Amino acid sequence: MGTRLTGRNLTPILATTLVLSSGVAAIAASQRTEKHFAVNGRPVVVIQNVANGRIEVKSSKNPEVILVTNQNSGKINFDVEQVGDRIDVTATVLEASAQPQELDTSLQLTVPEETELQLKTENGTIYVEQVRGDMTLESVAGDIHLKDVSGYIIVKTTGSSLVCTQCAGKLDFNSVGGSAQILQPALTNVNLRTTTGNILFDGDFIRTGLYSMRSGKGVVEVRFSGNDSFDLSAKTNMGTVDNQAAAFLKPDSHGSRWHFPSKFTHGFIGTFGAGLAKVELSTFSGTIRILKRD
Amino acid sequence: MQCRDVEVVLEQEGLAPLPEAARDHVASCTHCQGLIADLETIISLSVELPAEVEPPARVWVSLRNQLEHEGIIKQPVAVPAQEHSSLWEGFGRLFRSRAFATVAVGAFLLIAAFLQVRGPSEPLGPPSGTPNPLWQTAKVLNEQEIDLRNMHLSSTSPVDVALEQNLQQVNEFIADCERHLKAEPQDELAREYLSDAYQQKAELLSAMMDRGRSVN
Repeated sequence: MGTRLTGRNLTPILATTLVLSSGVAAIAASQRTEKHFAVNGRPVVVIQNVANGRIEVKSSKNPEVILVTNQNSGKINFDVEQVGDRIDVTATVLEASAQPQELDTSLQLTVPEETELQLKTENGTIYVEQVRGDMTLESVAGDIHLKDVSGYIIVKTTGSSLVCTQCAGKLDFNSVGGSAQILQPALTNVNLRTTTGNILFDGDFIRTGLYSMRSGKGVVEVRFSGNDSFDLSAKTNMGTVDNQAAAFLKPDSHGSRWHFPSKFTHGFIGTFGAGLAKVELSTFSGTIRILKRD
Repeated sequence: MQCRDVEVVLEQEGLAPLPEAARDHVASCTHCQGLIADLETIISLSVELPAEVEPPARVWVSLRNQLEHEGIIKQPVAVPAQEHSSLWEGFGRLFRSRAFATVAVGAFLLIAAFLQVRGPSEPLGPPSGTPNPLWQTAKVLNEQEIDLRNMHLSSTSPVDVALEQNLQQVNEFIADCERHLKAEPQDELAREYLSDAYQQKAELLSAMMDRGRSVN
C-alpha cells in the first residue's frame, strides 16, 4: 500500500520543513563572542553601540572585564581595544543596506565593582547594576535602568526614560521627552531636566543635599518621608501645584533667601524639619505634586 | 545714549564700527565696556573653531544629479543666499557647518544670558521689533529645520522616528513658551525654559542632520 503525497498532506510537511530550516538558519546566523581583559585598579569602559540592542553591565569581584556580544547576523562588527585599563568597544554596521532586525545585538559586560563607564547607544536598553564609579550614559530611544550604582551619574536621552533604583552620589539627567524615576535613592546632588517627560522622586533627601527637578510640560512628583529635613520651593508659570503635604510643611523659615523669580510664577515655599536639604521643583505648564509617604 | 541703547546698537549692527554717540557712552561706562569685551571674547572664540572642509561644488552637483536620477528628490534644494554683513549673520555662517550648530546656539544663548544678567531686563519683543538674541536663535534654528526638511529624509527606523517625534514635542513647547512670553515678556523663568528648549532643538537638529548625512 503506497503513500501518496497529496496537496493537502504535503502542506504541513512543507511548513514543518520551512520552520525547521528557518530555525537552523537563525541558529547558524546567531553569533556569540566572549572576550576577557585583565585590568588593574579601576578600569574605564567605553561603548559606542550604533546597533539595536541591549547593553547590560554587571559587576564581579574579579579584576577583569568580560565582554560577551551576541548578534543575529554577521553584519555588525565589534572593534574592541584595550589600552591599559581603558577598554573601548565600538559597534559598526558592515552593510549599510542591513535591515533593522539584522542589526539586533546585545552586549553583556562584567566589570570590577569600581569601574567608570561611558555607554552610548541609539535604540537599545542600557542596564547597569552594582557598579561604583562615574558614568555617562546616552541613548536616543532606548530606556536606561540603573540599580544599586553610585558615583557621578550623567544620563542624557532624547526620548527614552531613566529608572534609577538605589542610586547614590550625584545624578544629572537631561532629556527631551524622557521621564525619570528615582527610587530609594541616596543621592546628594540631583539635577533632573526634561521638556515633556515626567519626574518621580521617591526617597530620602540627604542633609545638605541639593535637588533640582524641572519638567516643561510633565508631572514632577516628590514623595518624602517623615525623617527628611529640607527647604522646598515649587514653582510654575502656567501649571498647577498639587501640594498634598501642606499639613506637614511649615512656612519657609529662610524666606529672605528664597523668592520666586518674578510675579509671573506661582507655587509654594515651605520647610520640613530643620530645612537642611534644598529642594527646587518647577514646571512651565505641567503639574507639581508633593506627597508624604506613610 | 544709555546702556540699553548701546545694547540695541550691538544687536542690530554688531561690534564695529559703533556710532559716535555709542562710542562716547562706552568710553565713560564700565558696564558697556565689560559687555563689549565679553562679546569680543565670544566672537573670537567662535572664529577660532576649526572649520569643516567644504566639499567641492562638483560633489554636490553629482550628488544632486544622482538623487534626482533615482527619484529621491524631485526639485532642487533651495540654497540660502550668502550675504554676510552683521554680527548675527556671522553667527549664522557657523550653522552651515552642521557640527557647529549646537556650539553656535550655545553662543547665542550665552549672549542672551549676558544681556539678561548684565543689563536691565528687556522685553522679548516680537520678531518684527527690536532684534533679540533669543529671537535670533529661533530664526537660525528655523532655517536649519527647513534645511533638514529639504534633505527629504524618509527613514522609518525607530531612532529616526523618535528623533522626529521629539523635535515635534520641542517645537510645540517652544511655541507655548513664545506665546507666553509675548504676553508676559518679563517672565524670567519662561525665558529659561525657552532657552533650554532652543538648546535641545539645536542638538536634535544636529543629530538628525548627522544621521541623514550618514544614511545618504
